[in-house]
Order: sequence, then C-alpha cells, then structure tokens
Amino acid sequence: MATFHLQIVTPDRMVYDGEAQSVILRTVNGDICILANHIDYAAPLGIGEAKVIFADGKERSAACNGGLLSVENNEVRVIATTFEWAEDIDIERAKRAQQAAEEQLQKLSRQDVDYAVAEAKLKRALARVQAGK
Amino acid sequence: MAGSSMKDIKLRIKSVESTMQITKAMQLVATSKLRRAKERMEASKPYAAISEAAIRAAVRSCAGEEVPFADHREVKNTCVVVVAGERGLAGGYNNNVFKRVAQETEGKPWCVLPIGRKAIEKYQRLGIPMLNADHGHVEGISVSECYRLAKMLTDGYLAGQFDEVLLIYTNFQNMLSQEVRADRLLPIEPEQEEKPRLVSTVYEPEASETLAAVIPDFLAGRLYSAICDSYASEVSARRTAMDSATKNAGEMIDSLSLKYNRARQGAITQEITEIVAGAEH
Repeated sequence: MATFHLQIVTPDRMVYDGEAQSVILRTVNGDICILANHIDYAAPLGIGEAKVIFADGKERSAACNGGLLSVENNEVRVIATTFEWAEDIDIERAKRAQQAAEEQLQKLSRQDVDYAVAEAKLKRALARVQAGK
Repeated sequence: MAGSSMKDIKLRIKSVESTMQITKAMQLVATSKLRRAKERMEASKPYAAISEAAIRAAVRSCAGEEVPFADHREVKNTCVVVVAGERGLAGGYNNNVFKRVAQETEGKPWCVLPIGRKAIEKYQRLGIPMLNADHGHVEGISVSECYRLAKMLTDGYLAGQFDEVLLIYTNFQNMLSQEVRADRLLPIEPEQEEKPRLVSTVYEPEASETLAAVIPDFLAGRLYSAICDSYASEVSARRTAMDSATKNAGEMIDSLSLKYNRARQGAITQEITEIVAGAEH
C-alpha cells in the first residue's frame, strides 16, 4: 500500500517521524482519515482518539489533543498540543480525571465560565480512556 | 613582622580555597544540569520549526483577507517577553539579555512579560508595566505554563493592549557561545513566496478561522522552545563562568603559596642570622 511521510510533533518532543499508510484524527469538524496522496489540507485538531497505521501495517492508537493537521505535498504533519500513545496512558488516572470532571460538570450550569474548562477536561479524559483501552 | 604577614597570607589562601570549593561545586552542578537542559532544548526544536512553517503558509493562503494576529496596525505599545535566568553567577548571561532589551525598546512605550526571577526583579525595580510576575522559575518550565503565557499574549493583543509582541531570549549555539536574539512573535509575517504554487491548500474551516484557533497553541510551543533554549544557555554560561573562576582561584592560590613560602623562608633566614649574630658575641 502507498505510504506517506508522517511527522507527529508536540511542544516537548518529536513523537513520530517516519512512513505511514494512514492516520485517523479528530479535527474540529469531525474524524478524518488521511491516506497517501491526499490533497493539500489543513484543519485544527479537536480532542479525541487518533489511529496510525504504519508502513508495516501495524496499528497504534493514541489520545490526541489540540493543534493542527497539515498536509502538504504528501507530507503529513500532526502538530498537536499533546499526543500520547495508548501504551503510555495511565488508564486509572484517566478514569479518575473523567469522574472528577463529570462531578464538576454536574455542579456547574452551562452559563458558568468554568463549564467549558470542565467540559474540555472531560473530553481529554474520555479520549485517553478510549485510546488506552 | 614576617610572622604577621605569614598569617595574613595563610588566611587569604584559606578564603580563596573555600571560594574555589564553591565555584567548583557550582561548575559540577551546571555540568550535570547542562546535559538534561540540552536534551530538552533539542526535543523542543522540531515543534517550533514545523509549526512556524505551517502558520506562515496559512497566513499566505489568506492573502487579502483579514487575518487575526497578522494585522499590521500602528504600533502604539509593544509587549516584550524577556527570558532571563533564575540566578546570577552566569557570566554576562542576564546582562546581555537586559542590554538587548534596552536597545530594542529605546524611546518607545512598552510593557514586559518577564520570565525568570532575575528579569522580574530587574523590571520591577525599573517600574516597567508588567503583564504578570508569576513566572520566576525557568528550570523545568512546563508546556502548560507556556500555554498560560501564550494565552496572556494573545488575549492582550486581541484586546488592543499592545500591538506588537517581541521575544528576547538567548540562543544556545555551542558550549562556549550563546547569542541574544530578538524575534517578533506578533503580528505574524507571511512567508515570502518563492514560486507560485499550482494547488492551493484546502482549509477546513477557512484559513483565517483555522489560524485563529491554532496560533495560541503555536505561540506556546514557540515560547517553550525559547525558554528551553535560554535555560541551556544559562547553564552553559554558568559552567563557563565557574570554570574560569575556579581556574583563577587556582592561580591565585599558587601565587599566594609562593608568597607564603618566601615569607616563611625570609623568617627562617632572619632567625638564623639573629642566632649566629648572638653566638658571635
């Protein structure tokens, strides 16, 4: 299968730099799958699970949060705020964070300034839990 | 006479020795910290470079449109992000940064976002308007702290509090040389087009909206990388300074020991002369 050059980078490190067959990501408009020879494209990333199929056909999932997806000349760059491979996720911690965020959301009303913050926390926790499974 | 000067010299040797112990210890600490600081600096570089290219390309894509953070308005107030050290005793590290800041801000109104305790103290003393004085710690600064800093900058920029953001930090070139740099963070300069491209990038949502969503993130990455860069520079400047201080102390001890031995020999010679003179009578 055709492959493309994929770079996944976060502020504190280069997470992956190599060939891949496909990558599935959650953008602000919903999930998107990028294959080789995709048209030049850019979209802000949302909070969600990401899946990468490497050149050797192996698949790995991760929790990805914020940033930008950019495709240029068959070069795909995932410039994320955080990107954690499933193996590196502490599921118990993520579940605790999920619970804490849920409890906080119950207490707040939609008009609260903290509502969006708590909602984002919940989303991040959910993405981790899902990716870590 | 000879006795008292011998005692003085001995005291001085002792005090120089204890200073040398301190500088030597600081040098060792700096050496061990340097390795980690350099690793962090290297790791933070790809994000800053890749994101900058992506941002510039996006700004170019919305040529003619109104783009947030790329509107070159008249500069009435400048915000300067100053990255300095947490401690002194690093040669000219902090001073070089402050000198550059003074150069860049000469004759214009400005406010400061200091990072590093030394910078906070300096600009508090000078009474420069300050966005925030909570970021005294530079060693091991977290990415999320940089997000807060970036948010402060983008919020202030959008609110019209300032019309330009400068970042002044120290770039680590090698173990022996560091260079102070001043970069403009906002507004963003579009990339100079080398050759017109045939296909235009599809942006979802539109390029300007995409930019508005991701620029605060990228600013955070840029700050993080500059702070890691500066910290590596600080540690290596301190290592060099402490290395030469230790060497100087060693030289001082050598010359003082020589003086001490001379004084001791002089005292012995005098004593013998006195005894011999006494026996002759």
